[in-house]
Amino acid sequence: MSDYTQMWSDLGLDLKGHDALLSVLGGAYQDIFLSQKNRPEGMKYFDFVMSEVHGLRIKELMDAKAQGRIVVGSYCVFVPEELILAVDGVSVGLCAGAEFNFEGAEEVVPRNLCPLIKSAFGFKRGLVCPYLEASDIVVGENTCDGKKKSYEVLGPMVKDLYIMDLPQMKSGPGRALLKEEYAKFLTRLEEKSGRKVTAESLKKGIATVNAKRQAVKRLAELRKADPAPISGLDALLVNQVFFYDDPVRFTASVNTLCDELEERVKKGEGVLPKGTPRLVISGCPMAVPNWKVPFIIETSGAVIVGEESCVGERGTRWLTEAQGATLPEMLDAVTERYFNIDCAVFTPNPSRIDHVRDMFGRYGARGVIHYSLQFCQPYLVESGPVETALEGSGIPVLRLETDYSQEDMGQLKTRIEAFVERIHQG
Amino acid sequence: MSRTVEPLINDEYTGGPPTKRVLARLQEKRKEGRKVAGVYCGYAPTELILAMGISPATLCAFSNATIEAAETVLPANLCPLIKSSYGFIITDTCPFYGLADVVIGETTCDGKKKMFELITDLKPTWIMDLPQVPDQEEAITNWTAMIRKLEGFLETTFGARTTDDGIEDSIRDINRRNAMMREVFEFAALRPAIVGWREMYDLTFLAQGSSGKDMEPVLTEALRKLEERRDGGYSYGPAGAPRVMVTGCPVGGDAEKVFAIIEEAGGVIVALDACSGFKPYMTDTAEGTGDPVRALAERYLKIPCSCMTPNARRLTEMTRLIEKMRPDAVIDVVLQACHSFNIESHKVGEHVEKVHGLPFLKIVTDFSLGDVEQIRTRVEALLESC
Amino acid sequence: MRTAGLDIGSRTVKLVVIEQGETVLTRKGLTSHDPLEAARALMEGVNYDTIVATGYGRHLLKEHLDCPVISEIKAFALGAKAIYPTCRVILDIGGQDTKAISLNEAGEMSKFEMNDKCAAGTGRFLEIMAAALGYTLEEFPKAALSAGRFEKINSMCTVFAESEVISLTAKGAARPEVALGIHRAIVSRSTTLLKRIAPSGEVFFAGGVALNGCVETLIAEDLGRPVFVPPDPQMVGALGAALHALKSGGREDATP
Repeated sequence: MSDYTQMWSDLGLDLKGHDALLSVLGGAYQDIFLSQKNRPEGMKYFDFVMSEVHGLRIKELMDAKAQGRIVVGSYCVFVPEELILAVDGVSVGLCAGAEFNFEGAEEVVPRNLCPLIKSAFGFKRGLVCPYLEASDIVVGENTCDGKKKSYEVLGPMVKDLYIMDLPQMKSGPGRALLKEEYAKFLTRLEEKSGRKVTAESLKKGIATVNAKRQAVKRLAELRKADPAPISGLDALLVNQVFFYDDPVRFTASVNTLCDELEERVKKGEGVLPKGTPRLVISGCPMAVPNWKVPFIIETSGAVIVGEESCVGERGTRWLTEAQGATLPEMLDAVTERYFNIDCAVFTPNPSRIDHVRDMFGRYGARGVIHYSLQFCQPYLVESGPVETALEGSGIPVLRLETDYSQEDMGQLKTRIEAFVERIHQG
Repeated sequence: MSRTVEPLINDEYTGGPPTKRVLARLQEKRKEGRKVAGVYCGYAPTELILAMGISPATLCAFSNATIEAAETVLPANLCPLIKSSYGFIITDTCPFYGLADVVIGETTCDGKKKMFELITDLKPTWIMDLPQVPDQEEAITNWTAMIRKLEGFLETTFGARTTDDGIEDSIRDINRRNAMMREVFEFAALRPAIVGWREMYDLTFLAQGSSGKDMEPVLTEALRKLEERRDGGYSYGPAGAPRVMVTGCPVGGDAEKVFAIIEEAGGVIVALDACSGFKPYMTDTAEGTGDPVRALAERYLKIPCSCMTPNARRLTEMTRLIEKMRPDAVIDVVLQACHSFNIESHKVGEHVEKVHGLPFLKIVTDFSLGDVEQIRTRVEALLESC
Repeated sequence: MRTAGLDIGSRTVKLVVIEQGETVLTRKGLTSHDPLEAARALMEGVNYDTIVATGYGRHLLKEHLDCPVISEIKAFALGAKAIYPTCRVILDIGGQDTKAISLNEAGEMSKFEMNDKCAAGTGRFLEIMAAALGYTLEEFPKAALSAGRFEKINSMCTVFAESEVISLTAKGAARPEVALGIHRAIVSRSTTLLKRIAPSGEVFFAGGVALNGCVETLIAEDLGRPVFVPPDPQMVGALGAALHALKSGGREDATP
């Protein structure tokens, strides 16, 4: 690994805090990922990406900036990457998955707030997220109460915070609002980058992002096999890297991985023995390095075969399907695509339950774990009806609510093991 | 209190919870054959509902007693107001809900929005998609459309009808009500204080779903008594009592413990800066615009609720109120797990301390009595600093 | 075959040995700061063909004795079923966890709920509150049952509840009334879990807190449902583990 100290220092990172973060991250990665058995060879690429996630990838961002491209940081799958690519920008997901500097976060936002939001503030105030520091513009979106109000606090701390409003109901005015917001965002991107979006550039952006989605959809498809050719942890990692990596290289690497997995499936090989209980996870997103629950699940005798999550199928299952070749037509297609996303901030949100049920069947799962981050009210409140509906159709459900701390590992393990035992007997 | 005076509202409900008075009035309306729409929030357009001959009824939301039942379904980490509301419904203990033919909800916060999904099957329910960025042009357009849609819902459900003229009349009527309420608040600004929180709360609670016509006799009498109190040299509370402005989440029922603690600590509450207090009466709807529904949309989007972003209006309105009421301290009441008021409190605190140089205290609480002593200690310390 | 079940809880370690369907030995000790040593002490001189561990410290034992483990939720389901075959609803209040378990018609685990991550409303909570009021664990429920009325305890966080108790006693509240308030607080928390998973049916009440007569009485009152406490309620998990050892014949088919 090269020495990136100068680059980190130029970005204004707190080097001591950043070193501490990287060493924890590296240790966790070793324990959780590298200790897995029967990993596909194709995961080596992702191991490399993770080992260079604050190094080489940031160097690439800096090089892109030097060439006059803008780096756009965001926290949510409602921010359309197609539009960012259409101005030749680089889209990156921002750090929000670790319990780092919560003390610093709690000086400006309440303690009783979702860990994902607190984490974003912990990284910002601790000056340890190079993605955030490298971003020319940060895009916030009015999804949940916590984020919407926290962006007001984040605003003065970052160079350029752009807020995108979102509807809360899937109504006519809701769709119109989203379309208008995307049009405004496009204008803002044009101003920021100094580049005009053309039908050609947007078309290319759409194609690039669609290819990326197609690749993870292909990966998802392969997970139908029993034995599962890849662990849930590794598949989650691919879905997490989705937000950081160069899209074209990512797509190629996922496809290479899938080629290998296809071979595995043909030979009937897997990461865990055939018949291992298969679970679908549904709920809040898991950002790097939030691997706690999947790690417990996969060390408790089960394998995860699908993620109904923004870092998973909720974020990738729809492609942008442009009907026409003009810019407005394509923008309509982008709006339609994102308007489908069944995040729990929408009311009502019935398609989410249908999707979980569909995933349960498609992947031959035997149970669903509903995952909520503490204080995330949309998913917490929705977990009740989701559980009732699924159990009503004979699908075992375990509801978990947790944060980024390690102190409830024992309790979570007890619950997850009991759930696996319940599935075994059934 | 220097001597006893006649209460501003003097009826058989005086001294008791204000809900009983409102319930009695609503039952009368019901006897006259009027339909009732249950509402939860200050964004429900009272003018339109009244113009359609329907009575709005604020649904129960302030009791600790119904929370346990709610927690069998809802997460414990949710605002007590939402848990209580839901608990009232599933235990069938809210008489207002019992009277209501329909329920009107708004997508104000995540908790409410998602809770409404659990009650839509029980009674005809209409959810209004509330914009979150009120200063955007689309916000007015969309909220106008939402109010029109509500009108359509009430038309189909009840066969009720109104016209733009009818809505315009209702706007004038409510403007009149609000103006009279603001006259009351003028008296609350007097130093020394001549009115306490209980009497102000009785009025703000009663006026919420009432027409101007219904409120006029009550308010005329209250204003007359206030004049008498002022002219008679009456003062409320101990001499030199620190004046407190309470801002934040709606406060009523079991949350009134905060008000009681402030008074017990020797303070006098001069402003209730919440939807349960002054907020619904602070702005008027423009009259004679030719598009009364759009005028309503504009007026309602001016409510500085923390569900709005960036909600700079909360601070400017607060400044106006501070300058008028001249409090010695500001207390921000945040209901547990109410993310929007909780996060906004940081900004509010800085505003109060830096712009107004006033001591500020944030209290995060719920409807239980478990934290009374902790709150008392903090309130006493705050008032000592005044 | 002689099989053993070891339940390493957060407060106590329990051992049950069964032979031909009969319990032939039960032992109990404190978990202390060294659960492994506590377990070893308990197993000293005990003969068995195979053993299964459960409870909070189960994985520790798995590492050191290379024995299969099952979750305490399953262990309680198995143990309760053996003691009371028709029971479908189990409540276990242990040292740091409260679990509500429902069983299906076949007596298999169907749904379960556990308390949130803090020790609120568990045995440890009762211990701390008893100490705050100056009662022994034996006196505590008796004092509570002697009260005619109660002081409401709102906070279920152990730390906050303790300060609530202190401020109540500082105000001169009667100790038995505060004690009753604490018991009611625990009960309301547990019955919320029970109502979520099983709206009706008799409750099989196990775990250390089942030894507290006041909690038992109040649960029955609150739910309006009968409550059954087995003769040795702390041993149910260990018995379940021993039964599992018998069923699996020591094969490693428990949770890895």
